[in-house]
Amino acid sequence: MPVDRGVARSREPPPRGWPQGFANGAANRKALAVMASLRGILPREVHALAWREGSARACLDEIKAGRAGSDADREWAARIAPERVEAAAGACGARMLTPEEEEYPPRLVDLDDPPAALFVRGRNLEELVPRIGVVGARNCSPAGREFAIEVGSGLGAAGVCVVSGAARGVDSAAHQGSLRAGGTTIAVLGSGIDVAYPRGSRRMLEDILESGSIVSEYAPGVPAEPFRFPARNRIVAGLSEAVVVVEGIGRSGSLITAEHALEIGRSVFAVPGPVTSELAEAPLALIRDGATMIRGVADLLADLGYDDPMPGARRLPLGLSDTERLVLETLAGRVVPSTLVDSTGLAFPEVMATLLSLELRGLARNVGGRFERSGHAP
Amino acid sequence: MYGRVIGVTVVGVRGHRVAVEAHIGRGLPSLALTGMPGAAVQDARGRVRAAVEGSGLEWPLRRIVVNLSPGNLRKDGPGLDLPVAMSVLAASRQVPVERLGRYAFAGEVSLEGGLVSTPGVLSVALAAAGAGLEGVVVPASNGAEAALVEGLHVVAATTLSEAVGFARGSWSPPEIERADPTAPPSGVDFSEVRGQGQARRALEVAAAGGHNVLMVGSPGAGKTMLARRFATIMPSLSREETLEVTQLHSVAGLLATGELVGGRPFRAPHHSASVAGLLGGGSGFLRPGEVSLAHHGVLFLDELTEFRRDAIEGLRQPLEDGRVVITRIGGAVEFPSRFTLVAAANPCPCGFDGDPRRACRCDEHRRQIYRSKLSGPLVDRIDIRLGIPRLSKAELLGEAPGESSDAIRIRVEEARERQRRRYRGGGVTCNGQLPGPVARREARLTTDAERLLARAVDSFALTGRGFDRALKVARTVADLVGEDRVRPEHLAEALSYRGTGDGSLARAG
Repeated sequence: MPVDRGVARSREPPPRGWPQGFANGAANRKALAVMASLRGILPREVHALAWREGSARACLDEIKAGRAGSDADREWAARIAPERVEAAAGACGARMLTPEEEEYPPRLVDLDDPPAALFVRGRNLEELVPRIGVVGARNCSPAGREFAIEVGSGLGAAGVCVVSGAARGVDSAAHQGSLRAGGTTIAVLGSGIDVAYPRGSRRMLEDILESGSIVSEYAPGVPAEPFRFPARNRIVAGLSEAVVVVEGIGRSGSLITAEHALEIGRSVFAVPGPVTSELAEAPLALIRDGATMIRGVADLLADLGYDDPMPGARRLPLGLSDTERLVLETLAGRVVPSTLVDSTGLAFPEVMATLLSLELRGLARNVGGRFERSGHAP
Repeated sequence: MYGRVIGVTVVGVRGHRVAVEAHIGRGLPSLALTGMPGAAVQDARGRVRAAVEGSGLEWPLRRIVVNLSPGNLRKDGPGLDLPVAMSVLAASRQVPVERLGRYAFAGEVSLEGGLVSTPGVLSVALAAAGAGLEGVVVPASNGAEAALVEGLHVVAATTLSEAVGFARGSWSPPEIERADPTAPPSGVDFSEVRGQGQARRALEVAAAGGHNVLMVGSPGAGKTMLARRFATIMPSLSREETLEVTQLHSVAGLLATGELVGGRPFRAPHHSASVAGLLGGGSGFLRPGEVSLAHHGVLFLDELTEFRRDAIEGLRQPLEDGRVVITRIGGAVEFPSRFTLVAAANPCPCGFDGDPRRACRCDEHRRQIYRSKLSGPLVDRIDIRLGIPRLSKAELLGEAPGESSDAIRIRVEEARERQRRRYRGGGVTCNGQLPGPVARREARLTTDAERLLARAVDSFALTGRGFDRALKVARTVADLVGEDRVRPEHLAEALSYRGTGDGSLARAG
């Protein structure tokens, strides 16, 4: 790949964020749709180009003229119809966010190489706050998987959105933990927004869409390829206030994510493992470099300041139905279902069904015919 | 001189036709019985002579041999007294033989010539009808029972002389009222249960699907009270079922004079019961056990953990096959035993684990040993597991009284009817009897329900058996509202009856 033809000229690193008016107006938006479909040019190059040229349209012109990006990019840029990109996004229920849009997460501009456009399916990202990233090995240990589920559900129950990469292992365990606790979660894909990768994740992604969102900087149709995963990880770090590393070998994607996070001023938490374990290499290295060691989700919540035992709606997990919220709010001590019938005004079968779905989310439990709150819900 | 009378001996619950032949020959006065008579039949020798003489008839003072044929079948029970007496009277030409060939005779005689209540008369009557006989001659106190068999002439005699009079044509028996057995008022009703909304509902589901139930709760929570009322919401007995139940109770000698079993049986054996007492058996005459006396009804095992281990193990066959097989030297005897099991247990040895108002005094080790008793093959076969909380006074009074048994039973019967139609010809009649693979096929979940199930498998770590149980119970919940497909809310309810896999049912959650 011919590198940095244009960027090499400027010695100073470009400023943070995007130049004024970079994505302003329909023409710039179309240019961004085309650029999101290119596979050669790196986000870092786009970012530098933006500060040199000022607008997305001018950037695209540079690429088309062969002064930026690869040769393949030049050919592609001439051929791709921006309408088709947005139509394909719309077809899979996705919307394209440019830096101009309100919903474009402001935190992303902390990155050296923020995505110039972001495709999103599901809930408005502004509603999914606060956000904590959870990353780790794809080939994690069973214990690592359990731990990731616990972290995910602890965060989910505390009303914190879990951000991860939808990969096998720790990533999907974190997503699932959050879903189980009725929490919200964001999956950042390393492939086109319409590509479910790994293929077994399709069902989970559907579940995620019910209460959370799926995010990708790649236009529809871009296949999943390993070299894109580190780039995906920087978005996980960018979206999150802090990143938790559960397991990872040395020089792994998890370590890269954590380094991204440190570079842009995010807190990093790491879960220690035995020094003899390969999977503990990344977290132990991070701890040695100053990451905060956590022994469990309680440590994490305490450090983040989410553990104050303040009751009330603010701390109820997101994604609950109205009846679930009502029952959970009314549930105090150990009560028999009929007490809840009286205090909520719901019918008996409805109370029972709601209690079960709360049980499924780990928010309530049945103790010998009485029900009480459980899990990490206050 | 020779005489021949038809008698019936009862093996298990089945009556077998026995030809009772008497021969009077020369020799010292004696009575010999041949043809594998059991101890109770041997006893007849003394009784029969006294009864004949006590009735003003003549006992032939010669050598008498009475043979019971077929000779390879062991005969037991006192019901052969009357045919033995009649055969001797026939051989000595004191009664004419015309009527003897068309009637079966059964009944125990007293020394003064009366006929006393005899166990197993219904089985005798069924065998007589099956053999194409015209009627039976039985003790008057067993008349109503025999009259359950349609198309059979029942001669209910109070004494041996009346039976002889009938054979001679000089006495005609009174007409027997063919009373349709109606459920005797059991004296309890579901409306008396206060609070316990979840348990009431769960028992309705159990009755509707024929599911076994385990209730775990502190002493005084109301487990026994609920169990007693469970039989009152089960569907009414069909005629066929009434016959089967009455037959078993008759064989066990449990029918009070002139009374029939109308309602579903409720049997509550104490936990000190022996294996033979629970499953049937005994020396000599085989008696049906509690599992068979609970046939078509409820077997309530209070304090399940206190029962003997071999007794609990022995319950597996009757629970799975709906019958008990007792193997003896003379062959295997079978008793039907298709009952609904309702078991109850404390949550821990002291009984107060999980109780909000009393602290549990058990240490964790003892609690674990206790919980391990609440798992295993028997509990595996229980579809519905419930925690029964001990209610405070406020909780008891806070809830409106529930529906009456009659109101609940209407819904239960409708749900059962739907199941009967669906499984017609499949060898099962209700969801509780479905084998796992069939349950998976028949449950018919909606897509949403399937998703819920997938989540539950994950969240609750359901085992394969737990999975099947949830499907069966969910199918019943859907049948109660007449839905063709199992919807998420039906499955959710079923899942709330799941208990947990590790036996810690008290802390179901």
